[in-house]
Amino acid sequence: MSAMVKPLPVQEAYEDLLQRSLSRIPCDLGRLLYLASTRDYNTGNYHHDGLADRFSVKVARSALEIAHRQAFYKVAALSLEELVRDLAAYLESSRENPEEFLRTWQRLEPYRIAIPMEVNPTVARLFASNVRLALAVLRLRQSTHADR
Amino acid sequence: MIGVWSALAGALVLLLVLLAWVRAEASSKDSRSDWGAADQEQSEGEGESVEACSPEIVSQLFSAADSKFISGFESPGLENLFRRERTAIALHSVQETSAFISKVMRRHLEASRLRADLEIATEARIFLQYARLKLYCGILFVLIGLLGPHRLAGTALYAERFIQRVGEGLVEFQSAAQLREPEGSESL
Repeated sequence: MSAMVKPLPVQEAYEDLLQRSLSRIPCDLGRLLYLASTRDYNTGNYHHDGLADRFSVKVARSALEIAHRQAFYKVAALSLEELVRDLAAYLESSRENPEEFLRTWQRLEPYRIAIPMEVNPTVARLFASNVRLALAVLRLRQSTHADR
Repeated sequence: MIGVWSALAGALVLLLVLLAWVRAEASSKDSRSDWGAADQEQSEGEGESVEACSPEIVSQLFSAADSKFISGFESPGLENLFRRERTAIALHSVQETSAFISKVMRRHLEASRLRADLEIATEARIFLQYARLKLYCGILFVLIGLLGPHRLAGTALYAERFIQRVGEGLVEFQSAAQLREPEGSESL
């Protein structure tokens, strides 16, 4: 008789989330923003209909929370060069006007909502600062291209 | 005559350190105002559940690769922005570490008051360790304000790691002391 190790429900839900939803998103920043968007702004609770149907609301919430934190730390640990590349990929996948996109991101700083609840404040600052710098780099590149 | 020159040099060094401190404090205040509410919440108790800054993140903060990448654009505006941003975060990181050390020490003192079997030698050793850590944090704070984090890369990383290691040792010691506490004494 072979002993089968049954995965924990949260782990199963997490893997399901990775396979079905996150693998379709082409960049780390996109995955992070997607996961942040599953969080309710008022309560801080995460919700995903499909995942909650397949597992339970509670299990889906935990899986989303774990995935969000992991995605955040991954992006926060990217070097500036990698982040600029990732942000450029996100910009391209959004199919928005690049100039407008960069201007709006610099003004509204929407990436701040991508920070999970209980993370180290230094890491949170580093993340926001790196995105600000990556935006400045992309704008600089854009103006250099426009000048040519 | 040599005495006068030494005194003048000492005063000049002190003045420079003070200026660096004021400059560093101003940079750190700028970034604090931006994150005010979040930081306040962290320092008012919730910070205990927050995990420490990983060495990877600290090394990224002082990374020479990022600095090199930015200087490759040859844009003074971008370089200034980078320097400002990184300095503010590095200063915040040192302040956070310093606050953590103070908190551990405060808790240790509170726990010590409840113990009857205090060892003076051990307490003195802990206090010296604490004073040393606070001094390192102060020096690091001034140096970051003066030179910027990327110029300090190796030193700052070494100091941060050292502070964290000794700080963790202090926490472990405190936990061990708490376990030794006599039954009936209040827990933290």
